[in-house]
Amino acid sequence: MNYEALKSVIVLLALSTATGIFIARAYRLLWVNLRRGGASGRFDHWGERVKGVLVYVGAQLRLFRFLVPGTAHFFVFWGFLFLSLTILQAIVEGLAAFANPHYVLPLIGTWGPLALIQDLLATAVVVAVAYGLYLRLVVDPERYRGSHKGAGVKVLGFIMTIMLSLLVMNGLRINLNEDLLGAWRPVSTLTGMPFASLSPAVQGVIEEAAYWIHLGVVLLFLTELPTGKHFHIFTSIPNVLLRNLEPRGRLPAPQSADGTAGVSVMEQFRWKQMLDFYTCSECGRCQEMCPASQGGSSLSPKLLIMDLRRNLEERGAALSAKSSNGILFKSLTGDVITDETIWACTTCYTCDQECPLFIEHVNPIVEMRRHLIVEGRVDKKLQDALANLGRYGNSFGQSERMRAKWTQGLQPAIKDARKEPVEYLWFVGDYASYSPTLTDVTRKTAEVFQKAGLNFGILFDAERNSGNDVRRVGEEGLYEMLAEKNLLALSKCKYETIVTTDPHTYNTLKNEYVWNGNGRPRILHYTELLDELISSGQLKFGKKLDARITYHDPCYLGRYNGVYDAPRRVIEATGCRVIEMPRHGDRAFCCGAGGGRIWMEEKPGHERPAEMRVREAAALDGVTTFVVACPKDVTMFRDAVKTTGSESRLEVKDLIELVYEAL
Amino acid sequence: MNIVVLIKLVPDLVEELTIDSGGAGLDLTFARWIINEFDDHALEQGILLKERHGGTVTVVAPDLEGADDVLFTAAAKDADRLIKVKGDFTMANNHALARAFSAIIKDLQADLILTGVQAHNDLDGSAGPLLAECLQLPYVGYVSGVAVNDGKSTIRKEYPGGLLAEMEVALPTVLGIQAAEQPPRYVAVSKVRQAMKTSSIEELDASDLNPDGAAEIGRMFQPEAAAHAEMIEGSPEEVSAKLVGLFKELGVL
Repeated sequence: MNYEALKSVIVLLALSTATGIFIARAYRLLWVNLRRGGASGRFDHWGERVKGVLVYVGAQLRLFRFLVPGTAHFFVFWGFLFLSLTILQAIVEGLAAFANPHYVLPLIGTWGPLALIQDLLATAVVVAVAYGLYLRLVVDPERYRGSHKGAGVKVLGFIMTIMLSLLVMNGLRINLNEDLLGAWRPVSTLTGMPFASLSPAVQGVIEEAAYWIHLGVVLLFLTELPTGKHFHIFTSIPNVLLRNLEPRGRLPAPQSADGTAGVSVMEQFRWKQMLDFYTCSECGRCQEMCPASQGGSSLSPKLLIMDLRRNLEERGAALSAKSSNGILFKSLTGDVITDETIWACTTCYTCDQECPLFIEHVNPIVEMRRHLIVEGRVDKKLQDALANLGRYGNSFGQSERMRAKWTQGLQPAIKDARKEPVEYLWFVGDYASYSPTLTDVTRKTAEVFQKAGLNFGILFDAERNSGNDVRRVGEEGLYEMLAEKNLLALSKCKYETIVTTDPHTYNTLKNEYVWNGNGRPRILHYTELLDELISSGQLKFGKKLDARITYHDPCYLGRYNGVYDAPRRVIEATGCRVIEMPRHGDRAFCCGAGGGRIWMEEKPGHERPAEMRVREAAALDGVTTFVVACPKDVTMFRDAVKTTGSESRLEVKDLIELVYEAL
Repeated sequence: MNIVVLIKLVPDLVEELTIDSGGAGLDLTFARWIINEFDDHALEQGILLKERHGGTVTVVAPDLEGADDVLFTAAAKDADRLIKVKGDFTMANNHALARAFSAIIKDLQADLILTGVQAHNDLDGSAGPLLAECLQLPYVGYVSGVAVNDGKSTIRKEYPGGLLAEMEVALPTVLGIQAAEQPPRYVAVSKVRQAMKTSSIEELDASDLNPDGAAEIGRMFQPEAAAHAEMIEGSPEEVSAKLVGLFKELGVL
């Protein structure tokens, strides 16, 4: 058998072996394992879904949120896409070698401009991969902590080898005049030059070796694709295609039939959630931005997903082997993911937002919390808060009859929306109603509304905690109870618009409450209402405050509901100038109170997210006021200002206080 | 093992308390009734014993507003039998309560009767010893741990000053629980709702609500603001000398 025939046989064998391994592994992971998961739905809105793939996979939009690494990845992605054609050429060329050792595919191997694009892209990929290696090995940012470094370097090495061997092979072919499109490959021409002085026979051998290295590494890479972080190359398209299209602020309902159980075993996750676990590329953008991670807790969204993936793979293998492997006796909630980790999440949504591949983190965390709640595995403080919420409808453990105590003495008296029709129904919320330190702010809000001539009223003792954070703690039953009571109370009132003080209330009312009858009413956060009143001229200012302030975007107003501009416009209308913190808008750093964290015990010993945030603000030049638009933020940041000793440097104010001062 | 847990409902102190027109009791017209905190511990201890030794837990509560919630919550924690004792318990004192409950418990053939060691409205002594007297059973109070074997219970009792005693008590017995071995567990609302669907409350009539034997209450009043405290300063000798002088002045020495 001559070399060309042997080449064809070897390529055929190698190709079928590699493809076989790939299919076997992918079948086990994607078919066998995913079929064990729950139903997922989401086979709808195909236009929007496909558009998402074009924007987020094709244009890699989210990757550019980390600009330089994102750009590098963009070139690797597009480089690979175009160069997959050269790989196809290499395979076909090998398979056809016995008949024609210089076979070229029509168009792919004959069209000059394509050759030019490939040549340039291969170069771009080499540069991008070199940057990637530099990032991993030299810079090694915090976001890579806990990622598989070896695997990351290996993949980069694979890609680098594939590209360099291609350039060398092409260069030698140009030297040997075997390349019809040589003139279209300037970079390959350059890489061929160092070899030009060698004899054609030696160059031929090197060219052949480069071919084998190129194809060999491609096929080796193929077999390794369905493992670890590289699997995203394969799963990212379906994962982005089947991403969650619901509003960010709407948590999916629990998965079990009785509405309570939550997730305690891997197979109770939906299969799409499992696909999420496979899709994690361990880039750690979530980890770098996560307040729980930065606050020293055991939670990192990335490590959480990686641990879930390992469990999915190990359990899957054990279940298929019908072995009594110890892995089957490990509990998901407790052994695989510790209770501490599950409770650490503030549900700030940064991880979900940053993930370039739309992996959901908050949802599986809440699913596991739902299980812990059913098991009664909650800390003392949270248990007390939930018991209070169940009994009194507020976490403060006070009588509902005291809910409107803050209104005492206000003139004119605030209308009872249950007794007379109002234009605006003000849903005050727990913190604004009960927290003694917030009484002043709440009263000022009422006075601003009055001065604007607003026809508004409140629910008095019929209002209950909205349940936003109760739901995120995983107490679905209690959430339903609270929501039912609020909806019942609201259904008896006549109003046009609901205004909320608390962004958390705003979120669940707007995105999660099931409004019957006339459907969802108009729901505004008070900053949106003020913005409207100012632009319509209904609210006028008498003074111009001349202060440099910074504004903290509440997670449930900004990231969850996209309200960034209204509060800034209101602040500017008072005459203040907004100086932005480095992390602002959708990148605002969570205060640490969300998702029920405000009811839980703080782990001592590490700087808390609110303290980090205060330091961030204190570093701004000439800024002395830290403005917030959420009652919980007032509580969290006033505390953090004290604990960081920044009282002389920074004052925390609710946005309404600025408005009140400027009247 | 047959464990019976007695639950007393008490007015919730979260609401403002007012004295009724008679001046010798609370005005309970608008009271919110909640489970006595110590009884919640008794229930938790009962459930823990069931988990450890098997058996059944029967929960008995008086028919006051909120009793159903308390009973269904107990069921959600895995109590087996729920009994609501019918009658007007609004003003019933512990003597009446003990008599009414003992009549019912006699028929339950309990091995262990658990109750909270005290409640904030125990004006005539705590319910546990009164009940034990009615049933002619032994009673141990201030219990913070219970183990059961061979028809006997080993009990950990707390004494003031941080002392603990371990003692053996023959069953059946009445125990006044100071604290369960672990804090009362959280029970998810969904589980309570589930319990409402799957378990039922038996209603039994109280034989009589006889309050006799209790001390008579002359007057009930809100704490009255007294003169402010005076701090006695100096060395221990000086302080004790001043104290003795003060006591003599007040005629108590």
